[in-house]
Formats: sequence, structure tokens, C-alpha cells
Amino acid sequence: MTAIVEAVNLKKTYMLGKVPVEALRGVNLKVESGDFLAVLGPSGSGKSTLLNLIGALDKPTEGKLLIEGVDVSTLNDNQLAGLRRRVGFVFQFFNLIPRFTARENVELSMSIADIDRAERRKQAEDLLETVGLKERMNHKPAELSGGEQQRVAIARALANNPRFLLMDEPTGNIDSKTANEIMGLIKRINEEKGVTIIMVTHDQRLATQAKRAVQMFDGVITREIVN
Amino acid sequence: MKSRDVFSYSFSAIRLRKLRAGLTTLGVVIGIAAIVALLSITQGLQATITAQLQKGFATNTLIVSTGRSSGVSIIGAGDSGFKLFVNDTQTINEIENVSMSLAIIQRVGYVQFGGKNRTVTIVGVDFAKYASIYSSTFVAESGDIPQSPENDTVVVGKRISDPWKNATLFCNVNDDVEILWTNATARPPKNETYAGHVSAVLQEVGGFGIGPSDSSIYIPISKAESFFGTDECDMIIVKLKNDDTATIDSTSKAIRNAFDKQVTVMSSTAVLNILSSVFSVVQLFLGGIAAISLLVAGIGIMNIMIVSLMERTREIGILKALGMKSQTVLTVFLGESAIIGLMGAVIGIASGWVLANVVAIVFHGGGVFFGNQAAGTGGISITPVLTPTVFLGALVFGVGVSVIFALYPAWRASKLKPVEALRYE
Repeated sequence: MTAIVEAVNLKKTYMLGKVPVEALRGVNLKVESGDFLAVLGPSGSGKSTLLNLIGALDKPTEGKLLIEGVDVSTLNDNQLAGLRRRVGFVFQFFNLIPRFTARENVELSMSIADIDRAERRKQAEDLLETVGLKERMNHKPAELSGGEQQRVAIARALANNPRFLLMDEPTGNIDSKTANEIMGLIKRINEEKGVTIIMVTHDQRLATQAKRAVQMFDGVITREIVN
Repeated sequence: MKSRDVFSYSFSAIRLRKLRAGLTTLGVVIGIAAIVALLSITQGLQATITAQLQKGFATNTLIVSTGRSSGVSIIGAGDSGFKLFVNDTQTINEIENVSMSLAIIQRVGYVQFGGKNRTVTIVGVDFAKYASIYSSTFVAESGDIPQSPENDTVVVGKRISDPWKNATLFCNVNDDVEILWTNATARPPKNETYAGHVSAVLQEVGGFGIGPSDSSIYIPISKAESFFGTDECDMIIVKLKNDDTATIDSTSKAIRNAFDKQVTVMSSTAVLNILSSVFSVVQLFLGGIAAISLLVAGIGIMNIMIVSLMERTREIGILKALGMKSQTVLTVFLGESAIIGLMGAVIGIASGWVLANVVAIVFHGGGVFFGNQAAGTGGISITPVLTPTVFLGALVFGVGVSVIFALYPAWRASKLKPVEALRYE
């Protein structure tokens, strides 16, 4: 079975002013279709950098990153944008467009993918129903709670039938009760829809809900846990 | 992303900051309105003046002068002491293609009637020939212009008879008026005077022109010679057999040669050409000044777009994370400025047109507006002209300037790295 994501000796060095910072120092990782992987690690361990590379938001300095067998470093800007359309991103701070309603936010990623207005409206409504937010789809982010905003973000991430979802601390900014609900939703998406999920978290308890977890420290994967 | 969706995304960003977008648009509106108003007024003015000239200066006529006459003068003709005389028309009449010619002697003087005085230009002409050359303007509104006038026959312009533009007339047909002229060359200066009989009042000619004028009085050329004590004329008007350029050029040359190149020969086409080039320069100058205000508006757009870019860096990061291409981000930003430019241009053209018409009304009705109804000459009637070229030009210029000034901020937005944009606070 081909891995959806395969990282081989992946390295990323940032320049912080004139000081080089090695965020990733040789990561090897394989994620297969239907997987639910948690990437655990303290702040600064490089887990978000890894997620950004997998999501084609950034390019690696060294090493190989294959997404569905394609080497990301060979892709140009437009091809990277095309790749991002096939990836669903969920951020810690939701990153919704404040002037758009919940439905319009979900529709936005579909309109970027050239989907017709009527089609995307219907899909957006279905997706918001899946995340349990159909009743509040005409509300703007400012009128929604943190948990509700994250549900909208998840619906948006699911919009273009993504190959996999990338989640950066998806429950990091909401209360624990809502966090549990969100985790339940994420697990359901993985189990029922078979969507591959890579989730970054620093919370050990959340990691136990994934199918497997890897521990990162100082830019490398230090151990793997199978739940 | 479909262009309709790009447009609606750009529009939603503008709608979010209505006041800011409104003020930015206002800059474009002012620039475009200034351009449209100035150009349509100057074009209207040019059309008016050209029409007046064509009316008062038939295309098949030439004006021969020494270059220092009170009629048309040309820079560079010089004062050589050369004089034109009434009987020089005989020389001109012998030239090929000349149908007839007539001499004009004119002086500034006064007309007295009923104890009142008016300053006028006293023009001595052959009535029959003058009427033949200016058949549309040397026409009596009341009374008759006699073909063989009596010595004391006077034909008066409309503004002499009716200077206040109301029922109160200064003089009318069959009135006996006193005509006065001060001979300043006599030592001591001497007032000449005679009694004239008004045989006709001309119909209104309009603001200005080379031919008949509303503020002149016309007396027979023979009377002018004896009254002014000279047979030196100010100009000779030549009527040609036809008005093609070749005839005009060859005859002009022949006339100049006949007087040893001491005279200036003006044709209506030459006058119109000069006028047209003068107006081109004026339009370029005024349009240029107005364009500067549009450039200022362009800098305003650039400023706003850069501020907007900073405020929306995170949003751009989100769009790119969702898979928006860099070119689409560029288009979104350029779309915003194009919408501002288009709205500004459309409103600007409309307000410029309104402004031009208001100016035209004030210009024309100046007497009425400022309570100066006694103004003898009246206003010039300008109908602002908005040509399709000006309309489209203003539209393209407004949108173009907006888009050009947004290029840099839009390019910067499109070049943002998604991961850095998302991290931007």
C-alpha cells in the first residue's frame, strides 16, 4: 500500500535574523491512507514545522517529502497551491475569514477549487450539518463560540474531499468539554468517512485518542506509540 | 477561482471598509471629474468659436491686411509703413480666381441719440458687396439694407439698437443719430461728427466673429473716406470663386506677390487651423493639470492597498493555505483597485459632466447670475461636448491609474509565503 505521506530524512532550517535555527533535523515518517496520527511534542519540538511542510505551506531545506508519491520539492508555486487544495487544514486559532458567515467560509475553499455556486452551497450546508452546525450557518465567526468556530474550520477543511486533514492543536484554544466533543467529531470523520488525519498536539490525553502517535523532540521523532 | 468569484471576493473586501473605500474613490472621482469638466468645456468652447468663425468668415474669403490693422493681426508681419488703400481692390480683382473684393475702413467712435452715448466701431463698407460676402450675417432684422445707400445711411448692429436685451431700445430704424469720431492725428485732436439715418438694424450675430458684429455700425465706404479723411483702408476682404485649398493657397500667394509681400493674407482655414492647434495645447495643458490630481488619487490608492495588505496578511495566508494561487491573490487585489477605479471613473464622468454644464450656464447667463443685465456683449454660449473619446479615455484612465498604482501592493500580497502570512499578527 502506498503511503499518502512519506518523509525521508526531512530537514528544515529557518533563519532567525542571522542565526540559523534547525526546526527539523532529519524526520522519517510514513502515513498511510485511513491513518489517524498524532504528533506529540513540547513547544519548539518542530511538530508545527512538520505539519506545514506536509501541508505544502513551506518547502523543506533537505530530505524528501512525498505526498501521494510526488516529491514536493519538485513542484512549482501553482502546483503547490493545487496540492493545498487537496489538503484540509485545521488551525489552533481557527483562521476563519471574519466578514464571511459560517457557510461562506466553507464555500470559500470550494470557490477557490472552481466549484459552481449552487453545488458549493449545497455541499457547505451538508458539511455544516455533519459538524452539527446547520442551524448557525448564517452566523459570522464573531457570533460563534470557540468550539463552533472550530467546527466551521473542520467543515471547511473537509470541503474539497481532501486526501488528508492536517490539524494543528485543533483543541488548543477551546475549553475541555468542547475539546472532547471536537475530538469525538474528528474520530468520527476518521472512522466513518475514512479520512486520513495528522494531528499535532502537546496534550498526551488527546494523542491517546489517535490510532497511533509519534513523539517529537528537538526536530526529530524520538519514539512511536501505537494506541 | 472563477472570475465572478474573484470579483465578488474583491467587492466583499471593499464593502467591509466602506468609509475608507469611499474616500479613496472620492480621490478618483475628483480627478476624473476635473478632466472631464475641463475637456468638455474646452471642446465646447472650441466648437462654439469654430461655429462663430465659420458663420462670420465664409470659407471662400481671404482677409488682406498690412498686419497691423485693427482686424486680424499676425505676429511677425512687422510695421514697414506699408499702407493698403481702398482702390487696391482693383489690383486684387485682376488676380485669378478672385470673384470680388471690398475694402474696409474702421474706427472706434460714438453714436449719440436721445442724449445718450454709446461706444461703437464705425465700419465703412460697400453694403452690396458686404451683404454678398456675409449673406447669412449682414442681414437686416428690421428696415432695409440699401444696395445703393445714401451718404447718411447707417446700418446698426443688434447690440447698438438693443444694448440691454429688453424692450428698451437705444435707437431704431428711421431714427436720426449723431455719429462722432475723434481724429487724434489732427493737431489739436478734432471731433468729427455727422447726422446719420438708421435704415436697418442687423439681426443678432453672436458673441464674436470676423465678419459683421453686433456692436458695430456700418456706413457707406465713400462716406467713411470723407468722414475719416483718408482712403487708407484697414483690410480688404476677398471673395474667391471657390474654396478648395489649392485655390486658397495660390490666390493668397498671388495677392502677397502683388503687394511685394508687404501684406498678410489670412484664410478661414488658416484661422481655424491655428485655433485648432491652440485648443489642442490648451486641452493638453488643462487635461495635464487634471491628470495630476488623478495621480495623487493613484498614490492614495497605493497607500490604502498597502495598509490593506498589512491588515490582511493573515487572510492572504488563509487563502493560500486553502489553495489559492499567487496570480489569483494578485487578481483579487487588482480587482479591488479596479472596482474603486471604475466606480470613481463612472461617478467622476457624471459629476464632471454636471460640473461642465453648471459652468456653461454660469458662463452664458453671467449677466443674469450676477445682476449685470446691462452688459452690452452678453455671454458666450458654450455647450459642453463630451466626446466618446473623452468618455472612454476617462474611464480607461481612471481604472488604469487605479490598477497601476495597486500593482506593487498586489504583487507583494501575491508573493507572501503562506506559512509566514499565517504567523503574522
